[in-house]
Amino acid sequence: MDLELLVGIFPQVLLDGILLGFMYALIALGYTMVYGVLEFINFAHSEIFIVGAFVGVEILLGLKSAGVLDSVPWVLVLLLILVAGMLASGVLAVSVERIAYRPLRHAPRLIPLISAIGVSFFLQDAIRLFESIWRNAFNLVYPTLDVLNHRYDLTATVDVPLKSLVVIVAALLMLWGLWALVNRTKIGTAIRAVAEDQAAASLMGINVNRIISLTFLIGGAMGGAAGVLFGVQYGLINPYTGFIPGLKAFTAAVLGGIGNIPGAMVGGLVLGLLEAFAASYLSLLTGGAFGAEYKDIFAFSALILILIFRPKGLLGEVVRERA
Amino acid sequence: MIHAAASIALLIVSGAMVAVFPRSILAFLVFQGSLVAIYVARIPAWLRALLLGTALLVMMPVIGAWNGYYLEVATQVGIFVALALGLNIVVGLAGLLDLGYVAFFAVGAYTWAIVGSPHGNIVFGGGFPLSPWAFYLFLVVGLLVAAGTGILLGLPVLRLRGDYLAIVTLGFGEVIRVLANNLDKPINLTNGPKGITPIGRPPVPPFMSYSEGFYFLVLLIVIVVILVNRRLEDSHIGRAWEAMREDELAAQAMGVPLVRSKLLAFACGASFAGVMGVVFSAKQLFINPESFTFLESIGVLAMVILGGMGSIPGAVVGATVVTVLNLQVLKGFSLWLNELKNADVTVLGYNLANLPTQLEPAKYERMVFGIILVVMMIVRPQGLFPARRRQRELGQ
Amino acid sequence: MTGLFEAAGVSKRFGGLTALHGVDYRLDAGIASIIGPNGAGKTTLFNIFTGVYPADEGRVTFRGQPVLGLRPDQITALGVCRTFQNIRLFANMTAIENVLVGMHARVRVGLWDALARTSRFHASEQGSWRGGLDLLERVGLRPKANEIARNLPYGDQRRLELARALGSQPALLLLDEPTAGMTQAEATSLMALLRRLVADLGLAILLIEHNMRVVMEVSDRVTVLDHGEKIAEGVPREVQTNPRVIEAYLGRRAAAPGGGRAGA
Repeated sequence: MDLELLVGIFPQVLLDGILLGFMYALIALGYTMVYGVLEFINFAHSEIFIVGAFVGVEILLGLKSAGVLDSVPWVLVLLLILVAGMLASGVLAVSVERIAYRPLRHAPRLIPLISAIGVSFFLQDAIRLFESIWRNAFNLVYPTLDVLNHRYDLTATVDVPLKSLVVIVAALLMLWGLWALVNRTKIGTAIRAVAEDQAAASLMGINVNRIISLTFLIGGAMGGAAGVLFGVQYGLINPYTGFIPGLKAFTAAVLGGIGNIPGAMVGGLVLGLLEAFAASYLSLLTGGAFGAEYKDIFAFSALILILIFRPKGLLGEVVRERA
Repeated sequence: MIHAAASIALLIVSGAMVAVFPRSILAFLVFQGSLVAIYVARIPAWLRALLLGTALLVMMPVIGAWNGYYLEVATQVGIFVALALGLNIVVGLAGLLDLGYVAFFAVGAYTWAIVGSPHGNIVFGGGFPLSPWAFYLFLVVGLLVAAGTGILLGLPVLRLRGDYLAIVTLGFGEVIRVLANNLDKPINLTNGPKGITPIGRPPVPPFMSYSEGFYFLVLLIVIVVILVNRRLEDSHIGRAWEAMREDELAAQAMGVPLVRSKLLAFACGASFAGVMGVVFSAKQLFINPESFTFLESIGVLAMVILGGMGSIPGAVVGATVVTVLNLQVLKGFSLWLNELKNADVTVLGYNLANLPTQLEPAKYERMVFGIILVVMMIVRPQGLFPARRRQRELGQ
Repeated sequence: MTGLFEAAGVSKRFGGLTALHGVDYRLDAGIASIIGPNGAGKTTLFNIFTGVYPADEGRVTFRGQPVLGLRPDQITALGVCRTFQNIRLFANMTAIENVLVGMHARVRVGLWDALARTSRFHASEQGSWRGGLDLLERVGLRPKANEIARNLPYGDQRRLELARALGSQPALLLLDEPTAGMTQAEATSLMALLRRLVADLGLAILLIEHNMRVVMEVSDRVTVLDHGEKIAEGVPREVQTNPRVIEAYLGRRAAAPGGGRAGA
């Protein structure tokens, strides 16, 4: 076994893991916000996330076909697609809640979950239908913004493209912003009150429905932003792309302690690193017997093990179990 | 009396329709619908058994001789009926949402695929494929292996809360699929994405074709599965499952051992899937991991939800409707649309030939499943054919 | 000499809150009651007795056999069964089916018998149905055997829960506020029923009750809990006049001479 190789790729793998981890963390926020308030797994969040990516790619392709993509400053383009993606995903998340979840709010726990699975499947094909008609293609590639692919050398062997730095910075900003919103503002207090006890919160004059909508809006918007960044980073998307990252992001949320915003970041990073290292080293260490594909098994095994042995996650569940 | 006459007439007319228009999907749909109508009609039990028996044992094979595709559809429906009945025990009776159900189907399918094909030589050395007669033994082996897998999975996870259990079973389903995709090394157990072929077929009586043989085999298994389902439901075991679904804590306080009862439900559901997996792999001659995706698990769930959780006739009807929808209606619509396109038909000034080529209605299974799940949960969570008890309550 | 049911030094904390503190209890026969203000720890004690929560400290034995650490279904199989403060019937099952589930611990046939419909299975099912209908008869619900539990009137649901618990043939029955929400007449008839059960089936009954008239009429012995501690125990008359009990219920001033009776 080539020790030098193992050590040599380490920094690159670490970087990939961190990047992937922040991506999972951003998606995980949507699961964690909603679970924190409603104790409900918004299974459709993976599609709400990928819708952000589609909105981003449509705008970029539109700009490109109008011939202005290269003349607008890249920061502006990036901001535009981020805001548009967040808006679209946020509105979609709120609509999904109104149509498919709210009528079931007082039904037994599994009923809204089944509905959410239905929404997830429906949205996948709805995106496909729309893109098939609109573009006659549903596997789309993000147009490259050349500046974003510029690589900075960190060391002699490790470099990092600008787009990855953008992802990490944006993710940190959003995680901090959301944490501040929930813990430092009046709206955040209302959200926490609804999470604690809906009936009591409504007696205190809080409009519970509005707070729940707001939670979906915020979680959806974070998912949309993650979708855009995902597209920028990895390039290729299709309507079914969101599902596996979504499942892993949920794993990250559970890993960190569902309902817990810093937990989403910790869980995301742990999972991202686990996967990156499994993907790079497993094949090397086992002499090719087990390939990079086993990273998914690592992720899902992590989910199964954490749920069995530490269901409250690494940082603890924030919401108390309701009777 | 009117019901009885109408049922007989319906069966004759729809049978005749299929005979006159052997290529018409619509005619076959009417025939299938007439079976459901007979099932729900208020007629004496012996007449219902007679009519359904005639339809399934005599008419269906005759129709199949005319148009082999219909026999294939009927066999597929039968496979999914058994799967839906298995999942119905887990989800409907015991109230455990299993999103990775197809994993057990995969376990059964690979069990026979490996030993029933030359691929077994790579895994175990020589002597494969086994004799075709071994297939019948492996129906039992597939059952046991799948049930064992269910117990192995269930043992650690069945203490989890319902929604977490759902996600864990989903993760398990994915793990099985990834394993099937990648266990071509270090030992080549599954042959990876390339899949295994040719898989051996069981011997059938000399006067039958293979497809007839499979049709009757599947029909026989479905009947056994229904019988098992009914006997379980109507026993202390089924009552314990339902009690657990209604209120876990109270059920436990009344003496129901939760983990053991859940394991039993899991193992029973898994074993039906295992048996059908063995049949499926032999029928298809070829399997690869693509046949065992999350989509399939949700498809079976949609069947159970559409028919009504906990309802045996519901699972049968749900499986039939969803399979027919996928195999016939969506595909039929696709073909029809293509014909219109090729014929240069214009609708409201729009030439259909200009429709995007990527628009293939046959590919929208997920949308069908999604709509079924959402609409049923919101509008009719008890399903089209609710479990017996609720229906009786509505009747009062 | 060990009694039917004994608890010694049972303590339970939830976070910083001590719900029970070193409670001793013993019951051999007849009807006993546990009373106390809200939050005194009565239901917590029940939950520990039936295995719903583990205790932090203490010992509980039934017929000399330790029950702490056993699962609720194992404790039920030993012969201790309960009802719940907020009725927890199997809402979508019929009355008779509820009782049949209650008999689960006494069913001696297995999976194979159910699948093969062996004669043992038929005998067992027949026995269960007969026994279940008898129990419904006993609580006056025989004519409603086929009704869905959810649709029964409130008082009937309480009695059905009692019948369901009896299904496990308990030697000790724990009833958590069985007359809550009943009229005085219904409560009185329920107590008469409990008396008959003790006489006919020889079982012991432990009640949590707020209705003091019921408690004082029916109980052989009354135990008072307050803030997780046992503050009094004895025959109803003794407890009724115990100053600490009056204080616990009505506050310090009322406990002065000439203060009111315990309860409300």
